[in-house]
Amino acid sequence: MNLEARRNVILSFIILMIGIYLIKLFYMQVIDETWTLRAQEIAEKRKVIFPPRGVIFDRNDKKIVTNQTYYNLMMVEDSIVDLDTAAFAKLIGWTPKQVRARFKEIVEGEGTYYNKITRKRTPNYQKIRAYPFLKEVTLEEMSKIAPHLSNFKGFHYEATSARNYPYKSAANILGYLSEVYREEIEEDPFYKPGNNIGRAGIERFYEKELRGVKGIKYIVTSALNNAIESYADGKYDTTARQAPPLKMGMDVELQSYGERLMQKKKGCIVAIEPSSGEILSMVSAPSYDPNLLVGKRNISANYPKLAKDLNLPLFPRPLQAEYPPGSIFKLVQSLIAMQEGVITANSGFPCDKSLVGCHNHPSAHNIAEAIQYSCNPYYYMAVRRIIQQGVKRSTNADAEYGLQKWYKYIRSFGLGKIFDTDVSGQRPGLIPNPAFYDKWYGHHAWAFSTIRSISIGQGEVKLTPLQMANIVAIIANKGWYYTPHFVRSIGKKGALAQFNKKHWTMINYQHFDPVIEGMRRVVNEPGGTGKMARLNDILVCGKTGTVQNPHGEDHSVFFAFAPMNKPKIAVAVFVENAGWGGTWAAPIASLIIEKYLKGKVSDPDKEKRILEAQIAFQTAN
Amino acid sequence: MRKQESLTEHLDWPLFGALMTMLLMGLATVYSVAYNEEAPSLFAFSEKYGRQLFWILFSLFLGLLVFLIDSDIYRRFAIPIYLSTHVLLIVVLFMPAVHGAHAWLGVGSFGVQPAEFAKISTSLLLAKYISGLTVKQQNTRTVLTASSILLIPMGLILLQPDAGTFVVFTSFLFVMYREGLTFDPILLNFVNAIPGVRYKETWVGSHFIPILFALLFLSVVTLLLDSVVFVMPFFDTALPLSGSSLVLFGLLLIYVVSWLLMQRFTTRRERSRMMVVLTLGLILAGGLSFGVDTGFDMLKKHQKDRIELVLGLREDPNGDDYNRNRAMAAVGSGGFLGKGYREASVSSVRTNHVPESETDFIFCPFAEEWGFVGVLVLFFLYFFMLFRIIIIAERQRAAFNRIYAYCVAMILFYHFAINIGMNIGFAPVIGIPLPFFSYGGSSMMSFSVMMFILLKLDAQRKDVLR
Repeated sequence: MNLEARRNVILSFIILMIGIYLIKLFYMQVIDETWTLRAQEIAEKRKVIFPPRGVIFDRNDKKIVTNQTYYNLMMVEDSIVDLDTAAFAKLIGWTPKQVRARFKEIVEGEGTYYNKITRKRTPNYQKIRAYPFLKEVTLEEMSKIAPHLSNFKGFHYEATSARNYPYKSAANILGYLSEVYREEIEEDPFYKPGNNIGRAGIERFYEKELRGVKGIKYIVTSALNNAIESYADGKYDTTARQAPPLKMGMDVELQSYGERLMQKKKGCIVAIEPSSGEILSMVSAPSYDPNLLVGKRNISANYPKLAKDLNLPLFPRPLQAEYPPGSIFKLVQSLIAMQEGVITANSGFPCDKSLVGCHNHPSAHNIAEAIQYSCNPYYYMAVRRIIQQGVKRSTNADAEYGLQKWYKYIRSFGLGKIFDTDVSGQRPGLIPNPAFYDKWYGHHAWAFSTIRSISIGQGEVKLTPLQMANIVAIIANKGWYYTPHFVRSIGKKGALAQFNKKHWTMINYQHFDPVIEGMRRVVNEPGGTGKMARLNDILVCGKTGTVQNPHGEDHSVFFAFAPMNKPKIAVAVFVENAGWGGTWAAPIASLIIEKYLKGKVSDPDKEKRILEAQIAFQTAN
Repeated sequence: MRKQESLTEHLDWPLFGALMTMLLMGLATVYSVAYNEEAPSLFAFSEKYGRQLFWILFSLFLGLLVFLIDSDIYRRFAIPIYLSTHVLLIVVLFMPAVHGAHAWLGVGSFGVQPAEFAKISTSLLLAKYISGLTVKQQNTRTVLTASSILLIPMGLILLQPDAGTFVVFTSFLFVMYREGLTFDPILLNFVNAIPGVRYKETWVGSHFIPILFALLFLSVVTLLLDSVVFVMPFFDTALPLSGSSLVLFGLLLIYVVSWLLMQRFTTRRERSRMMVVLTLGLILAGGLSFGVDTGFDMLKKHQKDRIELVLGLREDPNGDDYNRNRAMAAVGSGGFLGKGYREASVSSVRTNHVPESETDFIFCPFAEEWGFVGVLVLFFLYFFMLFRIIIIAERQRAAFNRIYAYCVAMILFYHFAINIGMNIGFAPVIGIPLPFFSYGGSSMMSFSVMMFILLKLDAQRKDVLR
C-alpha cells in the first residue's frame, strides 16, 4: 500500500477546509450586508440630539416663548433588576397597574420593522436602549424622585427642554406642542415617536423654522450599553443647532392687557399696525394660560377641561367667528359709491325710515355726517345706486352687473377669502356675488330690493373680526394694506415674502378723507355714537357697530384707528352679547389704543369699569 | 561525538519565519483588542498585552532551551515525559474548578493547563510507538496499545471536562491514517466471528479517515433534515418525518438508480459483488442515520442546543447563540479592507460584545480590523505553516520525526479549523485557542515548545542514521 499518497488525502482536507472557510468569509465580509448591519445594531448607537426649539420675541424684544429644563425619567429594561412595582409606582405617584400599562405602551409605541435576517416583523423596541418612562417632569418633582432612584436599577433621569410662556398670554396665537402622530412620523423622517410637533398657532405654522437642526452622534457602545467612545472619532457626527429666534409683530404687554380687559367676557380684540400689517394683539376671550398645554401630562389633564368649558376658550373667535359686519360696512359702501361716482363726498340723502329702520338723527348732508349718524336709509340709497346703475335694460340684469362690480371692490379689501398668512385657522367669511344669489333665487330672479340688507352690512354678508380690523387698517392707510401677519422676522431673514407685498384696493386715495372725517366725528363730536372712545391727547377715529344676534343680546362692536393723522394702530373690538357698540366695545378700544401709544392708561375709572364687568359669561361651577 | 554546530545551522528558516510573523501578528492583535488608554505601553505588565509579550519571550526562551538539548532525548524519554504529564492530568482533577472545569494547575492568573502539554507528550509517545512498528507487527495488542496512548489522556481530559481539547486529540487519527495503522486486527476479530466469513482485511479498518468524514456528513444531513416538515401533496397534511427516514428515502433512491445503472453497464459477475457492497452500504448508512437521530434525542439539552445553533436549526441571537452571533457580526462587519487597526467596535475588550475576544475569539477583532484582506494573509500564513510542516515531515529519515511532525501539523490544523470555524459559525462554541494568536500562557508555551521541538528534530535530521 502506498502510504505516501495519503499525504495528499490529508493535504486535500486542509485545502478543502481553507477553501470553504474563505468562501464563507468572503460572503460574510464582502458580499452580505447582513452582518455589517447586525454589528451596527449591536455596537453603534445613533444618538439623536434634539436642539431646544427656537425662542420667540415680541416686537419690543421681550421673550414670550422660551424653553425650560425638564427631566425625563428613562428606563433601560435590561438593567432593571427585580423591580418592586408597588414601591416604584408609589414613588412616581401612580398605581402599579398604570406602571405596567406604561411598559406595554412604550413597547407598542416603538412600532415594528422587517428584519432581513429572521424574515419577520420585529419590534423596534430594544431591551438595551433607554426609553422615557415619564416625560417632562419638573425639577421640583424630580428632586423628590431622584434620591430614591438608586433603589430601582434600570431607571435614570435625563434633562430635556419644554416650552415655557413667561407672560402666560397669547395662547390662541402661539399654539402648543404635542406628540407627533404616526402619520406625521411616516411623512417626515425628522420625527421619532415621542417627539413634539407644533400643533396649533405659530408653533404649528413655523414648525420647520422653530424645530432647528437635529444633531447626530454615532457612539460605540459596550455590551452593557455604556457609551465607550465616539465612532470614527466623530467623523460622521453632526451638531444640533437651535433654530434662530422668531420676532413677532405682537406687543405682548398689549396682548396681556387686552386679555385682562376681556376677562369675564366673551369676544375678541384685533389690533393691527396699519403701516406694516403686523398684528399687535389678537385677543380671543376668554383666554387661558398657554403653560396649561405644555407636555403630555398637562395636555391630557387640561385640554378636556378647556374643550368642555361653556365659554369656548378654545374657539378662535377673531378668526372663525363670522359676524354680519353691521355698521362698519357703511364705511366700505361709502368708498365704493364714491369711487363708482354714484355719489360724491357731499351727496346728501334724507333719513327716510320707510325704506329701512333708523334711529332719530338729523338727515345727513354729506358722507361724513352719514357715517357720524350711521344713517341706514342713506346707505340704502347709496348702495342702490351702486347695484342698480341703469346700464342694463332689465332691472335684474342691471342688478347682476352692479353686484358683480361691487363684489370686485369688496374683494379688493381682502374680504370673502382667507389671507395668505401665518395666522392659522381663518374662516373666509362670506361676500355674496351674482352666482350666489342665482343659486338662491334663480338667474335674473333678484334685484337690489331682494338683497338690500347688504347695504348696511346685514343679511348674507359675513366677516371675521380679523377681516374687519383689516378694513380699519385700510382706511387708516387710505387705500392699501399689507396682509395681516404675526411674524416680523425669522432669525435675520425677515418676514415671509408675501408679507412685504402691498395690496391696493380699487378705491382712490382722496375718497378716504370724508370717511375718516366721519369716523373722527363719531368719537370726537357731540352726538357721536362712540364718544366713550374719546381720548384727551390722541385723536381717535372710530365707528360703532351693533351686530344683530338672532340667538340673544346683540354683540357690541367698535372699530377705531389712531392717531388720525399718522395712524399707528387699527383696532376692532367685539364683546359678545354686550348690546350697544358704544357702551363696552368703544371704551375697550380706547384703552387699547392708549395703552399701545402711551404705555399707560390715563382714566383708571374707565379701566376699572371694564375690568369688573362680567357679560354673558358662564362662571364655572 | 558530534561536532559542535551553531544553533541555527540546519534551522528551517521558512517555518521559523512564519512562526515569528504569526507571534508578532498575534501580539499586535492582543494589543489592539485589550488596549487600555491608561497603560498604553506594550510592556505594561498589568495589561494583557504586557503579559502576552512576557509569555512570548518566555516561550522563545523555552525554544532556546529546546535547541540547546540534543533532540534524541524526546525519543528516549518519551515514556517518562508522557507519564509525568499524565500525573499532572490526574492532579489537576483535584484542583478547584475554574469556569466549571478542573483544567488549571497553579496559582491565580499564572496557572497552566496540563492538557496543553499532554498534546506534546502524547505526540512524542505516539511517534515513538508507531515508529517502532512495522506493518507485519500490527496485531490486536499493538493496535490497542497505540489506541490507548490516545484514549488515556482523552479520558482524563473528558473528566475535567474540556470538550475542546478532547476533540483536538482526535487529530491523531489523521496521523495514524498517514502511517497506515489499521484497525483491521480488532475488526477482524468481530467480522470473522460470523460463521462462514473469512476475511484477511476490511477496507473500513484502514480507511477510517474518509469513512469518518462520510459519517460526519451523513449525521449532519440527518440532523438538518430533521427540521424539514414534509407536506404531503394532495392531502395538505404535515408529516412529522424524522431526518433519518428522509435520509433512508434518499439512500433508497440512490440504490434503485445505481441498480438500474448496473443492469445497463456492468457484467453479471461484477454485478453480484457490487450488489453486496451497495446493500451493505445502504444498511450501514441507514443504521447510522437512524442512530444519529435517536442518539441526538438522547443528548442533554445544552448539547443539543449548541448543535442546533451551529446547524442553523434554531435562532437565539441574544440568548444561547449570543457569543456566536456577536462573533459573526464582528467578523462580517470587517468588510473587504477592515475597519482599521484598533478600530474594532464590536469585538474589542472595551465594548465587550464578544466575550473572550482576546482568547478563543481573537479571530474576531483580527477579521474586524483587517477585513477580508487580513483574513487572506492569515489563512495564507497558516496554510504555509501546515504545508511546510508536511514537507518537513516527508523529508525526515526517521519515522519518529515524521510522525511527530504530522502530529504537530494535525494539532495545528484542528485548532485552526475549529477555532476559526467557531468564529464564523461553522463549529459549535468549544473553547480552544487559535495557536500563536490567542492570549494565554499555557497555549503559547505549549505550541511554541511543540514547534521548537519540531524545528530541533528537523535541524538534527541528518544525525539520525536509521
